[in-house]
Amino acid sequence: MESSRRDFLGMAVMGMGLTGLAFALYPFVMSLAPSAASLQGARVEVDINSLPEGQVRVFSWKGKPVFVVKLPQGFSWGGSVRSAQNQSLLKGQDVYAMIAVCTHLGCVPIWKPQGEGDFKFPVFHCPCHGGYYSPWGDVIAGPPPKSLSLPPQSREANKLVIGQEGFIKEQT
Amino acid sequence: MIKSVFFTLLIGGFFFILWIKNPFLHREVYEVPAQQAKIASDTTNHASEGKTLFQSYCQACHSVRYDGVYLSAIEANPKFADLKQQYGKLIPLDVYKSVFSEDLKALKDSFGKVPPDLSTMYLVKGQGYLYNYILNPNQVLPGTSMPKVIDDPTQTAKIVAYLKSVSEPAEREKEKRAMMGIGTIAYFTVMGFLIYIWRRGVLKRKGLL
Amino acid sequence: MIGRIGKWIDERAHLGQLWQSQMSDYKVPKNLTFPYAFGIMALVAFAIQVITGIFLTMYYQPDINRAFDSVNYTIMRDVPFMWLIRQIHAAGANFFLAVVYLHIFTGIYYNAYKKPRELTWIVGWLIYFVLLMTALTGYLLPWGQLSYWGMVVTAEIPTSIDSAPIIGKLKIGETIAIWMRGGYEIGQITLGRFFGLHIWLLPLLLMGLVMFHLYLVRAAGITSPDGREIDKKKEGVPFHPYITLKEGAFLMGYLALFFYFVFFHMSHFLPADNYDPADPFRTPAHIAPEWYLLAYYTVFRSIPDKFLGFVAFNLILILLLVLPFLDFSPKRSARNRPLFFALFVLLIVSSMALTILGTMQPTTTNAILGLIFTLGVFAFFIGVPIISYIELRQYRAKGG
Repeated sequence: MESSRRDFLGMAVMGMGLTGLAFALYPFVMSLAPSAASLQGARVEVDINSLPEGQVRVFSWKGKPVFVVKLPQGFSWGGSVRSAQNQSLLKGQDVYAMIAVCTHLGCVPIWKPQGEGDFKFPVFHCPCHGGYYSPWGDVIAGPPPKSLSLPPQSREANKLVIGQEGFIKEQT
Repeated sequence: MIKSVFFTLLIGGFFFILWIKNPFLHREVYEVPAQQAKIASDTTNHASEGKTLFQSYCQACHSVRYDGVYLSAIEANPKFADLKQQYGKLIPLDVYKSVFSEDLKALKDSFGKVPPDLSTMYLVKGQGYLYNYILNPNQVLPGTSMPKVIDDPTQTAKIVAYLKSVSEPAEREKEKRAMMGIGTIAYFTVMGFLIYIWRRGVLKRKGLL
Repeated sequence: MIGRIGKWIDERAHLGQLWQSQMSDYKVPKNLTFPYAFGIMALVAFAIQVITGIFLTMYYQPDINRAFDSVNYTIMRDVPFMWLIRQIHAAGANFFLAVVYLHIFTGIYYNAYKKPRELTWIVGWLIYFVLLMTALTGYLLPWGQLSYWGMVVTAEIPTSIDSAPIIGKLKIGETIAIWMRGGYEIGQITLGRFFGLHIWLLPLLLMGLVMFHLYLVRAAGITSPDGREIDKKKEGVPFHPYITLKEGAFLMGYLALFFYFVFFHMSHFLPADNYDPADPFRTPAHIAPEWYLLAYYTVFRSIPDKFLGFVAFNLILILLLVLPFLDFSPKRSARNRPLFFALFVLLIVSSMALTILGTMQPTTTNAILGLIFTLGVFAFFIGVPIISYIELRQYRAKGG
């Protein structure tokens, strides 16, 4: 009886010591979480009139580059994609934003309005490992596993607001 | 035994005077009427109203950079929006000073110095000083260049509540911190006793006690 | 599995042997009193400072335009839990020094500086001195009004040498002041170098000295409160678990008190005036050094002549260093030396009185009181060799 009580005390001290250590680590680990300031700037407004048609502008949203694309009126595109995921999400939008980070290994693709290589129509070309995306960010060819990610965005008359729920509700 | 008590009391008293309450230190006390003191302490209900009042009475001369509130002249400056986009709420002081040097100089010319930023002023001066100073600047600090801009004690108290809300964590956060504190202290107290009891057992087993 | 990994490591590192020789087989007197725990408390306080300090450097910016905001905005409001880490660091510095002072006074009380422990004492003194420098350099970093003006005043203190009769002409003091600041004023250069010193040089030095100090404690053994050296072969208790668990329990109490201050009573450690950004054109109303320097400051302030004041407070530091050689009595520990006990009480009361006088306004009465207690401190250092001589005579008369 006596010895089991002593063992219990030893276990209790050990257990509490370990718990205490975990709690002591908590603030230090949590201090590495994103700060309030870094979560700011999560809303970017883009004036549509200032964008040239058929061109791509790069903005910064949450520290990532974001392509804002403005399609010319009656734009038609001749390529074929693996999955038209983005194209269907962006149906009817002539101005939209995409996160300009290749889904393969994080490079920033380049907008090629005249086409590149075998593709004689506008594409995004990722120079790192040869990924090709349609103007809507769907994969045409190359290693990227999925379409470019779309940030939440909404359209207010002449403004595209990135980071606000609209025709895209949450980041894809 | 007597010696232990003597030294414990001596050292305890010494650190009590140094760290907790120094009867030899003279600090001015500024009275706030009970009703206004209640408003000024209640950030949950009065801070946002205080902010609106601050914007209409104080913002011409004072910024609250930690809350993203800048001088009215500077907020009207076309460069301001860009900087805010780039840096967020808090524009770094060096950038702020150089970009808006003209606006700041205009203020300096009319008041003799740039009126201070009020982000941490509540922590420096405390409720009583701020309340009395805003109501009667010249009485509290003779020779100050700050004019009397508000007459209403309640409005003043609300502005103080706003400054408090910028300087101090919100009530809920304070409660959370207090709980953390109580938990930590409780942990070490229990742990201390546990180790002590455990030690007796260990020593008995080894025949050391 | 864990047992096998442990065995694999131990076959190569012999950590078990090290543990045995340093902890479980290492014998210490059985009657160690509570004040002996101040040493381990100081060690833990140091560890706390190092860990919290490393995290603070991740967000602190040593730039005169950004330092204040990085501390008061980024650290105190923005980054999760950094407020806690800063509060621990700020209160920890004060507790570290408090515990070190208590450790020093414990050492004086039990005559722990006597042969063969003179070197332990000297290294300890170096730790104390480097620690004061670390505190001083760290105090400037938040770039508040007190940081700034505290340093303005501190940098002026060496200029006291220049009011000395002959050597004053050499302007040594002014040169020291300029070299400290890196110019004529406290600015970016000063902040940069103080930051470097505070986070690299001084802590590394401190770490080395602490390790050497601990080694010396092991080499020379721990004193016993009654002043009798123990025969390690026949008596004494194993350091582990007898002392480790006892002082471990005390340590928990210390930490509980420490965290009471961290969570509920930071107003002394983060004083109001330091929430005001540094302004070279406006001195704050109440300015005095931090409490751990106040006794020296009061000595300096109470003596009417600036140079003599400077000499006096430096002399106290030097006398503290050479204390092992002032005390040549064959007797050990204030328990056995009533005369020494009286002198010790005089020393501790005078130092405390000087510290508290430092927080008061510099009136004439306070200056006279300051002078009296300064004499009290010096009386200790003069008294120690005298009573040592008396005790030596008695010892010899008894045929020792």
